[in-house]
Order: sequence, then C-alpha cells, then structure tokens
Amino acid sequence: MSLQLKDISITLGHKFLIAPFTLEIGKGEIVTLMGPSGSGKSSLLSGLAGTLVAPLQIHGRAELNGHELFALPPERRHVGRLFQDDLLFPHMTVGENLLFGMARGNRTQRLSEMRTALKEIELEGFDDRPPHTLSGGQRQRVSLMRSLLAKPEAMLLDEPFSRLDTNLRSQIRSSTFELLKRRGTPTLLVTHDAADVPEGGKVLRIEKGAVTHA
Amino acid sequence: MAPLLASLVFLLAGAADLGAWRALFQHPQLVGGLLLSLFTGTAATVIAAFVALLIAASFFERGKDTTLARGLSAMLAVPHLAFAIGLGFLIMPSGLLARVIADLFTGWTNPPPWVTTHDPYGLALIVALAVKESGFLLYVLTNILAREDVRQSFAAQKAAAQALGHGTRSIWLRLFLPQLWPQLIWPLVIVFVYAATVVDMALVLGPTQPPTFATVVWSDINSAHVDDAARGNAGAVLLALVTGAAIASMAALGWTLRPATRWWRTLGPSTRTLPLWLGAAKWRGLQVFYIAVFMTLLMLSVAQLWPFPHILPEHIELSAWQQASDHSSSLVLSLLLAIRTSLSGLVLLVLWLEFVPERWDRAMMTLSLVMLGLPALLIGLGQYQLFLRVGLTGTGLGLYMAHLMPVVAYMFVMLQGPYRASDPRWRDASRGLGVGRWRFLTRIKWPLLKAPLLASVAVGFAVSFGQFVPAQLVAAGRFSTLPMEAVTLTSGTNRPLAAAFALLLMLPPLLVFLLAGLFGRPRWRAA
Repeated sequence: MSLQLKDISITLGHKFLIAPFTLEIGKGEIVTLMGPSGSGKSSLLSGLAGTLVAPLQIHGRAELNGHELFALPPERRHVGRLFQDDLLFPHMTVGENLLFGMARGNRTQRLSEMRTALKEIELEGFDDRPPHTLSGGQRQRVSLMRSLLAKPEAMLLDEPFSRLDTNLRSQIRSSTFELLKRRGTPTLLVTHDAADVPEGGKVLRIEKGAVTHA
Repeated sequence: MAPLLASLVFLLAGAADLGAWRALFQHPQLVGGLLLSLFTGTAATVIAAFVALLIAASFFERGKDTTLARGLSAMLAVPHLAFAIGLGFLIMPSGLLARVIADLFTGWTNPPPWVTTHDPYGLALIVALAVKESGFLLYVLTNILAREDVRQSFAAQKAAAQALGHGTRSIWLRLFLPQLWPQLIWPLVIVFVYAATVVDMALVLGPTQPPTFATVVWSDINSAHVDDAARGNAGAVLLALVTGAAIASMAALGWTLRPATRWWRTLGPSTRTLPLWLGAAKWRGLQVFYIAVFMTLLMLSVAQLWPFPHILPEHIELSAWQQASDHSSSLVLSLLLAIRTSLSGLVLLVLWLEFVPERWDRAMMTLSLVMLGLPALLIGLGQYQLFLRVGLTGTGLGLYMAHLMPVVAYMFVMLQGPYRASDPRWRDASRGLGVGRWRFLTRIKWPLLKAPLLASVAVGFAVSFGQFVPAQLVAAGRFSTLPMEAVTLTSGTNRPLAAAFALLLMLPPLLVFLLAGLFGRPRWRAA
C-alpha cells in the first residue's frame, strides 16, 4: 500500500498556490505537511480526494496502489478523509454513521464489525446514541472509525485535532496514529501545529507555495 | 385569523344536519368522485415532488441555483386557473400540441379523436397540477438550499460521504433528503390538499363522469335547492375529513416504514451518481410547458381563423380582446382587490412582526399553515356562513376579507423567516448612533429587507388575483372578479375570449413579480 504523488501542484488561474512537488507515502507511514493558514494545505487534500472546487485546480499524477487517482470520481478513489469538524451525519445514530461507509454485505456481520469497532474506540454500547449527545473527543473518534471502516487505501487528515481541548488532543492524536499504523494506511496529515506531528515521522513544509522537507 | 376560526365553527355547526349526511351517502358520485380526488391529488403530489427534487438537486450540484430562482418567480406568478385554461387549449385535439405533432411526425389532416381534457382518469388535471405544484415545491427547496448554513453543511457532508465511497445519488437519497424531509412535510401536505380539493382547475380540465369530489360538492353548494346546498356543506366537511385521513394514513405508513428506511440508509456505499442531465432536462421541460401555454393563449386570443393542422392562425384580429374590454369592470375589481389586500397584508404583517413578541409567531404560523392546508372549499363555505350571519355576504367588505385571509396566510409564511432573521446588531449599531425607531425602520431595516418585503407583496397580489372559491361564494352574485368570469367562459364556446381572459389573469401577477424582482434587487453586497 502506497500513495505516490508526482509533480503535484495546485493552481489558481495561472498562479501556483502550491508549486510542483513529488512525494511517496509508504504503508502505515504518516507524513505531515505543515504551513500557515491559506497556504493551500486543505486545497491539496481536497484535490487528492477529488472535491476541489474551481477555480482551484490540481495538476500532476497521483497513484494509489497503482491506480491513477485523478481519473476516478471522488467516491471511487478509496481515499478516506478526516476533517477539522467531525462531520457526523446528524440524522443518523452513532452506529448508523459507522455503517454508512461500510461495504455492503451480510447485515449481521456488518453489525458485529460495527460493534467491535465501537469497542476499539472505547465507545461500546454507543451505537444507538445520536451524535449530539457525544463529547468532542468521542465524536472525533467515531468520525475516524467511520473513515477506517470504509477500508480506505489512504487517509487524508485535515487538522482533525485542532478543535479538541489540550488534554484530549494528545490522547486522540496517539490513538489515531496508532490505529492508522496498525492498519498500514498511508496517511497525509496537514496541520499548522508542530505538536500534532507524529514522532519520527516525515515532515514537509509549505512556504510561499514551495513544498520543502523540514 | 379570527375569521378563520369563527368560520370553521359555523361550518361545523352547519354540518350537523343528519339529513344532509344521509343524502350525501346516497349520492351516486360519492365513491367515484372521492377515489378520483385522492388519485389525482396523490399522483400530482408525487410527480411534483419527484420533479422538484430532481431539478433542485441537479442545480445545487452544478451550483446554478440563482438561474433557477429567476425563472421560478415567473412560474409562480401564473395563477393556477390561467395555467389550466392554457394547458387545456394546448393539449386539446385541435390544440397547438396536436398541430406540432401533425406537422413534424404524423401528417394528420384532422384533429385526432382523442380525449385529452376532461379525461376519465383526470390525467390532464394531474399534469396541470404536477407542473404548477412542482414550481411551488422547487421554490421551497431552493429557499432551503440557498441558506448559507445549509449550503456549507451539505457541502461538508458531501465531501465526507464521497470519501466513504458514496456517489451523488446515494448522498441525496440517504443524507440530504432525510434532513430536508421535516421542512418538506408541510409544503407537501399543502400541495396534496390543494390538488385533491381544487375546484377551478378541475372544472376546466378534470373528469366529468364522475367528476372529482370537490366539483361534486361545488355543484351542490351552488345549487338553488336548500337540500343540495346542505348536502354540499356536509360534502365539504367529508372532503376535508377524507383528505385528512389520507394524510394520516400516509404518515402512519411512513412511520411503519421507518425501520426499513433506516436499514436502507445504512446498507453501505453506492457509487451511482445523480442524472444531472435529467434534472436540467426537466427544468427545460417545465419552461417549455409554460412558454407553450402562453403562446397557445396568445395565438388563440387573436385567431380569427385557425384551421387544423396549421401551426399559426391564418387571420389575426382583436375582437376577443375588444369583447374582453367590455368586461373591464371585473379586471378592475380584481386588480383593486389584489392591490388593496397585498398592501394591507403587508402593513398588518409588518405591524405584527414589529410589535408582537416572536414567541407568538409559532401560533400565527400554525394558523397560516392550517389556512393553507385546509381545502379552499371548506374555508370558503365557513367564511360564507360567517359572513352571512354578520351581514358581509355580497358586500365589498366581505369580498375584500375573503381575499385578505389567504393573502395574509401566504405572506406570513413567506415573510416571517427573513424578517425575524434580520441582524439585531443593525438596531444596536443604529441606537449607538442615536437613531430612533422610525428612522431605523425606514432607512436601515426595510431597505435591507426590501427583497423579501416586495416578494411577499408579489405573492399576496398573485394569491388575491387568482382567488376563486371563497370569492365566488362571498360575492353571492353581486360581484364578478376575473377568475369567476374566466371559469364561466371556459365552459362556453368562445375560445378566443376565454384565452384572452386567461392571459388577463396571467399578465398582472407576472408584471408585479417582475417589478418586485427588479426593485428588490440589492444595490449592495454583504461584506
């Protein structure tokens, strides 16, 4: 499992928001991309996920396990995303949110997998709870698990810890990284906070549109 | 709203006549008429909802909602009755549609022997209702989807769902529709009740053997025999009860199916996408419908000789318009009523929204929705009985009140949200500058709210201009408004005159909507 980005750039009209850069993220590897607000970090993730809105455009080549990403619509890219907001669907229960992204198949097996996943994020028995009754940290864990249950071949994390309070933040961060590594998912994390960088992980910086190794 | 409650009380008291109920249950057209009413109402609502949802989703996905909003106001301005008359002339065997088909495909030399209007299943009525009501539902949907909070929330949810492997069709059906549903229930109820109980459109296009139950009741109410009128009174109550029972059954069905819908929602990702082209095609189709109806009415109103299968009339003359000018008093009366009721409705509602605490809005909204959600026949009859007791039947004031009630209800539904949502910080900022209330209202608040204020006036004008059932009953033969004349004319043989009247019904509301759009356009941009 690897995500290969070749000569990737983001343009706004004729201007580069992010100049071309190349990067490979291996199995279970978490690469961090840092930069100030407005530097194009989130646009890069939207571009890779296929949801970038015009006039911004992404160029270059992105391959995920040998498949050319840009030739596929967003829903067929198998790229999971975690946002600043947890984006749990408000009209569904916690369990339904988790089932929403899981591949079709035997109902009993899917339910059992969902309940095991809830146990894994220490929310056993929460399947019938509406999302608004959960704390911020619990919601973010459900959101992460919802992404992982869809069995993404790569993950894009868009400052997912920025809205959590300090105590919770380090706890959620370590459990997230641990889960992603355990599942071997290549991950690109964007953040402007150095505290979010996983220990020993590769770090890139965007400065004035150029992506450089930190 | 007091007249609404009082009229319902009088109506229910009048419906206690057991003899009338016995006569009603022996009516030969009772079962057939009721079944037809439920069928036409349900079919029109389902089709309208499907068309509106597909168009709204398609335009939302392509980010072209503003194009939609512009075209919609013109569609909404066309009164139902005028549209029904135009559609009838368009689809009749010698109508413009058959002429175009003959010219392009079949080479017919005589009109085909088809029953296209007054068909036994009410198909023409269903088409007319579905086209008109899809415009209303589309208006409701675009208003919800145009809200910045909804737009942002849906965009974010869509990105999250796509990352989970869901295509746009699945996202709309599983995510957006369930969240929109609570806000669509009332509009759908209003559409269903209207479609199942409409009188004027059914008289123009609906089946005759049996007719829809609303027209059976209408015929009884207008009968000179006291017994028939009493049976009509009971019929109006029965119609309301049956439509209410139908809505309750649908709600119960929805409740029963809830586990199934929840199961379906979490079935897993589907990558199928929305057929955006189909939504765009349906929108074009709606526009073509309206243009074809307008062109048919225009050509028919000036056609002296229009032999089949010619697409254009051979000779043009203005005699129908000259004849129509002989009835100018009904046009003037309708115009005056529409201007007076929409402007007095505006004054009443602004006074309410300025001086009545917001917590009372809920009660007012409920009453307004009840007013819109009850059959016009029921309200018209109740009003008639109330006005009869207080001596308002057959008076100018009674006619004005009969027009004002639905106008205020529609205007309140339109205006309450935008008016209450106006930013209170503007008031605080003005106070800080030493500006008094009146100056704040005239210089700041109302100019900022001019788009919804003018739009509500336009809606009020159109509602008043198209009033038929309550107006006809309260007028008691002493006044004649444009819709009353138009309904009478459609049953006659002077088609050019009927077409001219339909156009007269159509043009003033269109003009008012156009002006409201023009003057309501903001000359500033939000920061």
